[in-house]
Amino acid sequence: MKEKQSWMDRLDEKRDAIGRKLSEKEIKLPVDLVTGVFFLLLGAVILAVMPSQVPVSDTDVVNGRAFPTLLMVVMMICSGMVLAKELYQIFVKKMPPATKNINLLVEVKALEILAILLLTYVICRVMDLFVIGAIFCSLAFLVYFRCRKVSYYAITLTMAVLIWVAFRFGLNVNF
Amino acid sequence: MLEFIGPALEHLFTVENFLWINLGVFIGSVFAAVPGLTVILCVILFLPFTYRMTAIPGMMFLLGIYCAGGYGGSVSAILINTPGTPHAATTMMDGHPLSQKGRTKAALKIALYASAFGGIFSALMLLFLGPQVAEIAAQLGTAEYFMVCLFGLTIIAGVSGKSMVKGVIAACIGLLISCIGADPMTSYDRFTFGIPRLYLGLDLAICLIGLFALVEILAKAEKKPGPLVLDTKKMNDDGKITKEEYKRMLRPTLISSIIGVMVGIVPGTGASEASWFSYDRAKAMSKHKEEFGHGSVEGIAAAEAANNAVTGATLIPLLTMGIPGDGTVAIMLSALMINGLNPGLSLFTTQGDIMYAIMIGLVFVNLFMLLQGSFLTKLFAKVVSIPQEILTPIIVLFCFAGAYSVNKNYFDVGVALIFAVVAWLLRKLDMPPVPILLGMVLGNMTETNFRRALLISNGSPAIFVSSVYCIVFVVLIVLAMATLIRSKMKEAKAERNK
Repeated sequence: MKEKQSWMDRLDEKRDAIGRKLSEKEIKLPVDLVTGVFFLLLGAVILAVMPSQVPVSDTDVVNGRAFPTLLMVVMMICSGMVLAKELYQIFVKKMPPATKNINLLVEVKALEILAILLLTYVICRVMDLFVIGAIFCSLAFLVYFRCRKVSYYAITLTMAVLIWVAFRFGLNVNF
Repeated sequence: MLEFIGPALEHLFTVENFLWINLGVFIGSVFAAVPGLTVILCVILFLPFTYRMTAIPGMMFLLGIYCAGGYGGSVSAILINTPGTPHAATTMMDGHPLSQKGRTKAALKIALYASAFGGIFSALMLLFLGPQVAEIAAQLGTAEYFMVCLFGLTIIAGVSGKSMVKGVIAACIGLLISCIGADPMTSYDRFTFGIPRLYLGLDLAICLIGLFALVEILAKAEKKPGPLVLDTKKMNDDGKITKEEYKRMLRPTLISSIIGVMVGIVPGTGASEASWFSYDRAKAMSKHKEEFGHGSVEGIAAAEAANNAVTGATLIPLLTMGIPGDGTVAIMLSALMINGLNPGLSLFTTQGDIMYAIMIGLVFVNLFMLLQGSFLTKLFAKVVSIPQEILTPIIVLFCFAGAYSVNKNYFDVGVALIFAVVAWLLRKLDMPPVPILLGMVLGNMTETNFRRALLISNGSPAIFVSSVYCIVFVVLIVLAMATLIRSKMKEAKAERNK
């Protein structure tokens, strides 16, 4: 137990050191500019792939491309409006663009959580046994939250197994 | 109507149904009381459990969660000045000050009674208005249906988030996602990118697990996991409400219930709008305006009656036209359709016994909420104190198991994860997720009616202004847009002046 604790302590120390560095780093994201450009491009890409992705027949009065095309046109107009408003603010009114602070520490922590979710998914898929992934997920989150209470480990692992039992035997989900 | 009441009561009065109602009410109260856990998340997590149930117990369980969620948010709002749900922010304005005056139990009681009144009022409105609206809906043709969908989408895009234009973009994304899979009219595959599994389209429940549930897990990165302790010692007052206070509560409760129903019927609007609007009305009409913000019983009653009065009303457009009144009932649509219950007039005629059982059941849901709230509020507060370290993996496992169980396929779990990442990125761009959900729900209906109408008119868009109903909806859309743009401009002006 003692050895395990020191292993966790070392891990926490490393995380703290990285966290201290990252918490001071922030990126100013020009949120409306990015939104405008991104959705304008997305609309253009969808319209470009439409012919290969949506087959139509010559006899159709209103074919399967009509509705998605209409949507993409509306989306591109709206994106254009967002972009135009921002460019007007910057170049005519000489005001800074609307920005959002993106904290690197938050993003790295979100990536850690995403990694836990992805690993849980891979384990479940490869092992084809949900309960193994469930146990990994519970342990990984407890380590992520730096939990040292043995009772929390016991409760969470029991709950992980119980959830699997409820779905497997109660709802007949074979996984 | 009367011919269905007898069989409906027979269907409803079973031990199984009442157990599911109570379980739903309990779970909903607890979830809503935890800040950060939403009612929509709760309904998504427990939706897979209803797949093996028949329509009535399944809907009773989900409605239990939904209605109790309306009240549960007020528990943490009153006790720790943190709203459990967004609409409980209004309750917090007066609930917490009253609690600070040493009347915590009284504040909780006022919130409970007003919630139950609003909920029962709304359920009765659904019972009486639902069949009438269904009859009107039966007269609507494809063009009119398209206009109804467009009206719903206009409101949704407008009320979601700070930017209306971003709301429209989000709604377009939701509508586009609904286009993935087989074309509803020709069955040609669309946007499948060579993945055969996509031919069946993306299941709503799976996308929602990513959009609303798993993204909240990623959002844990933004917060420090502190213990959430709802101090039950504060609940030691006698909880007495005087006759004078009951009298003062009566008018705002009734008026707010009516406002809640009216707001709830309009697709896309929700409990938050109803609560704030009712609170303002109650303040304007009160003889004790000075008490608002300092523990007014009228303020608590108005806010709580309105947010629960929304619950039954949101089901009116859902059951009659298949258009959900808000995001949470959009999910309930899956529970209905899985049991072969398709919204519309036929639901009230061919399956009237089931429909009336659900509508009458909603009254009982509110009664059980009143009972549980009277005796179990202390317990709710204790359960809410579950540490994040334990709660987070449990939610993840429910999400994974729920996503897998829809089609018994790990592909769907992967889809849920992709949606979670997309939702996280959209959050960074301040894009609201609710229009995406409603776009996905309304997508198929909007497109099918749009294309059918144009097919009937041989491609002429004049069909969309060819009937009285169409013109009424065009006027409503224009009015709604004008109102929304005006209010957004006012907000922007107020912000600039700051």
